[in-house]
Amino acid sequence: MIGVFRSELVRLTRRGVMVGWFGLTSILAIVINVVMFQVVKSSSTPPANGPGVSFPSKTLLLSEHGIVAGLASASSMLGVVALAFWAIATSTDYSTGLVRVLAAAQPVRWRLVLGKWLALGVFTAVATTAALVANLVAAPLAAQAAGYSPSAWGTNLLTLLLGAWVDLFGALLIWGTIGLALATFSKSSGVAIGVGVGYVLLGESIITSLASSARQWLPGTTISAIASGGSSRFRTAPPSPSEWRILC
Amino acid sequence: MVVTTAGLTRRFGSLTAVDGLTLDLPTGGVVGLVGPNGSGKSTLIRMLLGLIAPTSGGAKVLGRSIASPRAYAGSVGALVESPAFVPSLSARANLTSLARLRGLPASRVDEVVDVVGLTGRDREPVRRFSLGMKQRLGIAAALLPDPELLILDEPTNGLDPAGIVEIRHLLQSLARSGRTVVVSSHLLREIESVCTFLVIIRFGLLVYAGPMTDLLAEAQTLVHVRPELAADRQRLHQALSTAGWSVTAPPDHASAVSGELTISAPAEHSAQINRDALAAGVTLAELTVSRDSLETVFLEMTGADDGELAGARAASAGATKAVRS
Repeated sequence: MIGVFRSELVRLTRRGVMVGWFGLTSILAIVINVVMFQVVKSSSTPPANGPGVSFPSKTLLLSEHGIVAGLASASSMLGVVALAFWAIATSTDYSTGLVRVLAAAQPVRWRLVLGKWLALGVFTAVATTAALVANLVAAPLAAQAAGYSPSAWGTNLLTLLLGAWVDLFGALLIWGTIGLALATFSKSSGVAIGVGVGYVLLGESIITSLASSARQWLPGTTISAIASGGSSRFRTAPPSPSEWRILC
Repeated sequence: MVVTTAGLTRRFGSLTAVDGLTLDLPTGGVVGLVGPNGSGKSTLIRMLLGLIAPTSGGAKVLGRSIASPRAYAGSVGALVESPAFVPSLSARANLTSLARLRGLPASRVDEVVDVVGLTGRDREPVRRFSLGMKQRLGIAAALLPDPELLILDEPTNGLDPAGIVEIRHLLQSLARSGRTVVVSSHLLREIESVCTFLVIIRFGLLVYAGPMTDLLAEAQTLVHVRPELAADRQRLHQALSTAGWSVTAPPDHASAVSGELTISAPAEHSAQINRDALAAGVTLAELTVSRDSLETVFLEMTGADDGELAGARAASAGATKAVRS
C-alpha cells in the first residue's frame, strides 16, 4: 500500500493539480474574508446563507474566533473544490485506461483505493494549510478595509489556528472521499462533480427552503458544522417523518 | 508451462467472449496470439492478468491460479489494449510512478527507457508523444518488473517500419534471455517472423495451438515458372499438365504478359518440373518456390470475415430468426 501511496504522489504532483487546487483554495479563502467583512459593514444583521456559504455575525467576526470564521464560512465551497480534485484524480485513472495498468501491477483493489485516499489526503492537508495561510493574510486586511480592528484576535491564536486547521481538514477529507466514491462509481469526473456541486449548491438549498429543520442533519450542513468545530444546529437524530416526506 | 488454461470461459451477458478455452503455453520463446477482431484475445489477456474473473473454468500463470493474481503480478509485465499514461506527466514521471507502485528502484526506470530507445525524450510530457513513442513507453512500463512473462497486446501498433524491426529484435532478445513473451497482433507477417508458438482463436474458441513450424509445414507449396518467351506459355501449360502436374495460369495481367504459370507441388519437385519444361522445348527464365504465408493459413482457418462484423451479422441473423419464430 505504501507503494500505491508513493506512486499516487508522483501522479498528483502535476502543475495543473497543484496550481489549480491550492490556488483556487487560497483565492476562495481570500474572497470569502473580503465578502464577509463588507457584508457585515453594510448590515448589522448577518444576511441569509447563500448556496454553499454561511455568513457569521459581526459579534462572531470580532471575537477571538473571527480570524478563522472565513474558513468555516467557505468550508462548503472549499469542500466542493476538494471533491472536484479528488474526483478528477480518480476518474483520470479510468479515462486514460491507467486503472488497467495499476490493477495488473497491484491486483489487491482495496490497497489501490486506500493508497490513493492517503495520497489525496496528504494533498488535502496541503490545501487546508494553503487556505489557512491565505485566510491569515486576508482576514486582517479585509477587517482593516471594512474599518474594523478586532482586538480579540490575538487571544489564544495558536490553539485556534490548529483547531481550525483540524476542523477544515476533516471536512475537506469527507468532501474528497465523497468525490472519490462518486468518481469510482460513475467513472467520470464530470458526473461526480456535477452531482456533488449540484447537491450542495442546489439540492440542499431546495430541501432547506422546504423544511428548515432539515439543515440540522443534511450532509452538506453537517460537514459545514464539522468545519466550524461543531454547531448547536447540528443534530444526530434521524429525519422526522415530515422531513422524510419532503426528501421523498 | 508458463500458462495453462482449462475450460476457461468468460461471458458478458449473452455474449461468450472466451468459450471453454483449454491450452498450454510453453515456457520461453515468443508466443503469438492471433484471431479476428472480437475473437476474445483481449478478454483472455485480461483474465490472465486478473483484471476480470472467468465465468467458469480456470487457468494458471507461472504455476499460480488466476484466482489470486497477487501471487504472480510481480513476475508479469503487460501492455493491455493500448498504452495508458497521464498525458501531462513526463514519460519518466509516469514510469517512476509505476516503478514505485511495484516497489522498484528508480534505476530500473533508466534501464527500461534505454531498452526501448526513449533516452533523451523521457522528460517530455507524454501528450507530445506520437503513437509509436507511446507504444515504446507502454513496452517500457511492461518491462519494469523484469518479468518472467511479458504479455503485449498489439506492441507494434503505430510504429514505423524501423520501429517494428527494433521491437521484433527486442522481443527476440527477451525470449533468448529465457523469458516468455506473449504477443497479440493483427500483423501476421510480424507474428510469423518472430513467434515460435502460435495460438489462433475465433469467436472465443481455440482453432489452433502449437509450434509455428508445425502449422506452416502443412501450408501449401507453390512452384512459379516463367518461360523465356511469353508466347510459350500455352505450350508449357499443356506439357506440364500432360506430365501430371496441377498447373494454373494466374489470371492477372502481369502474369499473362510475362507468361507465368503456377504449379502446386512440393519444393523438392521443382527440378523435375524444370526437366519436363525443357523436354517440351521450353526454356525457363525463372523458377521460384513459395509457400502459403501465415496470413493465408490464418484466413483459411478463421474465414475471411472480419470477426466483429461476422459476429454482428450472426447476432442480427439470430435476432431476425427469433423475431420470425
